[in-house]
Amino acid sequence: MRLIYLLLLFWIYPTFATETEPPIRFGLTAVVLTENLRFLDQWSQYLGQKMDRKIEFVLRKSYQDVMDLLDSGGIEFAWICGYPYVQTRKPESLQLLTVPIYRGAPRYHSYIIVHHNSTHQRFSDLKGKIFAFSDPDSNSEFLYPLTLMMEKGEKPETFFRQTFFTFNHAETVQAVSEQVADGGAVDSYIWEYLAIFRPDITEKTRIIKTSPSFGFPPIVSRVGVNDTTVSLMKSILENMDEDLAGQELLERLKLDGFGHFSDSLFNEIRAMAYKIRRADPICSMLPTE
Amino acid sequence: MPVLSPKSWPLAIKLSLTITAVVAAVGFMIGAVIVAQDWKRFQDELGTKALLLSEFVAITTPKAMLRKDYWQLYLSLKNMASRRSDTTGGHEVITAMILDTEGKVMAHLHPAENKMDLPFSPGNRIEEELFQQAMSTRSTIVLSSGGFSKTGFQEGVVPIFSDQKYMGVVRVRLSVAQLYEKAKDSAMIVLALVFCFVIIGSGLGTIVSRRMVKPLTAVTQGLEAVGRGEMTDFTPIPINERDEIGRLSVTFNQIMAELAEKKMLEEEIAMSEKLVALGRITAGVAHEVNNPLAGLLNCIDTLRKHPDDKKLIDRYLPVIDQGLHRIKDIVHSLLVGLKIEESHETMSIQHIDKLHDLIKAEIGDRNIDIIWENHTNKDLHIPGKIEQIVCNLLKNAVEILPQGGRVVFCMHQNGPQLVIEVSDNGPGIPSNIRNQLFDPFFTTKTNGTGLGLWVVYRLVQSMEGIIEVMSDEDQGTTFHVSIPVITMKAA
Repeated sequence: MRLIYLLLLFWIYPTFATETEPPIRFGLTAVVLTENLRFLDQWSQYLGQKMDRKIEFVLRKSYQDVMDLLDSGGIEFAWICGYPYVQTRKPESLQLLTVPIYRGAPRYHSYIIVHHNSTHQRFSDLKGKIFAFSDPDSNSEFLYPLTLMMEKGEKPETFFRQTFFTFNHAETVQAVSEQVADGGAVDSYIWEYLAIFRPDITEKTRIIKTSPSFGFPPIVSRVGVNDTTVSLMKSILENMDEDLAGQELLERLKLDGFGHFSDSLFNEIRAMAYKIRRADPICSMLPTE
Repeated sequence: MPVLSPKSWPLAIKLSLTITAVVAAVGFMIGAVIVAQDWKRFQDELGTKALLLSEFVAITTPKAMLRKDYWQLYLSLKNMASRRSDTTGGHEVITAMILDTEGKVMAHLHPAENKMDLPFSPGNRIEEELFQQAMSTRSTIVLSSGGFSKTGFQEGVVPIFSDQKYMGVVRVRLSVAQLYEKAKDSAMIVLALVFCFVIIGSGLGTIVSRRMVKPLTAVTQGLEAVGRGEMTDFTPIPINERDEIGRLSVTFNQIMAELAEKKMLEEEIAMSEKLVALGRITAGVAHEVNNPLAGLLNCIDTLRKHPDDKKLIDRYLPVIDQGLHRIKDIVHSLLVGLKIEESHETMSIQHIDKLHDLIKAEIGDRNIDIIWENHTNKDLHIPGKIEQIVCNLLKNAVEILPQGGRVVFCMHQNGPQLVIEVSDNGPGIPSNIRNQLFDPFFTTKTNGTGLGLWVVYRLVQSMEGIIEVMSDEDQGTTFHVSIPVITMKAA
């Protein structure tokens, strides 16, 4: 990861050779295309040119790592999941910046997938099986299936025979397609994205359950970043669909654009998190606050 | 079919086939050893590779095993397997697995059939044995399917330790399919080389054996020529070598030269014998013809002096007649004998039986008994000369017998020999004249020509037969004739 960071630095450095201000750091996890370095270069160059400052994408394995970076001031902005966003922090260390708009709305689903040859038709059929999660701080890939189990009065340790985390959405799909896991939970945005760019793995999976819609994973800013930078970033992102370069980048991300939405967009996730906490306040698999 | 029997094959072929067979056998043996060693080396190399891959996985897995990070364990197997087949193009990973201390699957390259966190279940007895070996080992080992098979494998087994605590085992199994193809290719090359050696070897073998056998063939042909009695036109065997065959050729050439010389000498002797015999016959004829001629001339002279003496005419005319008939008989006998001697006519053996009646007529009313035994096959054909032989012998016997005598004629086959025996119980032949029996003009009868037995002797000789006489005075005589003339012809 450090190597990638360094490579990115060398790549971007000549463009901003005259800049003296420190770069703006943008945290990402495997929620999006972290392997596609060329795309991230193009995006960071686009944002850098618009902001007239160097932009660095900081890649981390898990949401927790990114949240830690936000807490410690290691990054200014981050693309995180709705679940870490709704968790209570004292004092609050982040604020909602903008929300991606996907297929006309700032919403997405959680898909419960199985192997395409599998006989499982319902989530309950997966009892006693092996299940793949992506990230313990993910809404669609952990919180939602946790809720499904809770509704049946079960916990992952009792419902599944074995579970594991891949910390990579695409690898969750891969784990199911290669039958390492009998089932998995995956973000609808990621699954649809993979269906276009990696149909070989999505073709071997079948969706057996689609969740109600949730607020799309938002982009947040750290509390303490100066307002000008925050509002400039917000404006640049929300106006990406108005210029050609921005449209191309959005096309690559398969997003319509970014928009301003109220915090209430995440109330469904907030409610689920609350229910889980009440039902099992010491659930071993829940992230500690 | 005698041609198909190897015993009747020419020595040159047998020798070159033997050399070819030896070259092929040696070639194939060496080839088989090379192929077997190649295969073993390939297998050993593959085993080492399987072990290296297992070690690579074993080094990177302990932490993931402790955390039960199944996905990382699976990815490490998957990356290892894909790296092997993509980068080296070498050896396909058939299967790979990480098992914990209890034999439960921590990760498997084929997760669909081998679910995580469940005990590994070997498919058959052999797999069960391999599993037990893998679980019991605490040091790195290579397990092999053994044998020369496309479906074989080499498996590297490496136990996993963390802080000297046994945590489980990594098994990586590589297919020998590509090695098998490689070994098959090299076996084909070896086979082709051996084939070339066999062709070259058999070519050389043919040349060597021909060279060796050529003098022997010449010796054989020479000996066959000796058998046929053709010794004079023999070409000496060329001597190229001074080895055993060379020495044999030299000796053979010497023998042949001596035989040719001997043959020439014999021919010369035979020629002079012929001239002597001719002289004797001429002298005999002159003498026999001259004897009556002198009497005849006297008679004619006397008659010319007394042409009107009727008594003289009555006395001398029968004498002249008798003398002229005698001369006629002598000439006739000579002509008949010589004419038949040159004849190559054949006849059915049944003709001989007609002589039975003829000889009965010859006996007339004399009291002579004839016993006739013909034991030959009726379909036999024999030279016409034999009839004359039998006729002369029978007439001879009948003429010599007194009243109450007995003649036995017996004829039978003995292999290619026709055997004729004519016996009588007459007075026998005195021992002092037995040597002259077959001489021309020798006779003991008052009016015999002395040519009957001479003709018999000449005819028997002309057919390369043998005639023997057994006689005791007052006991009788037996003529035994044996002639190699048996030929079968359709009657």
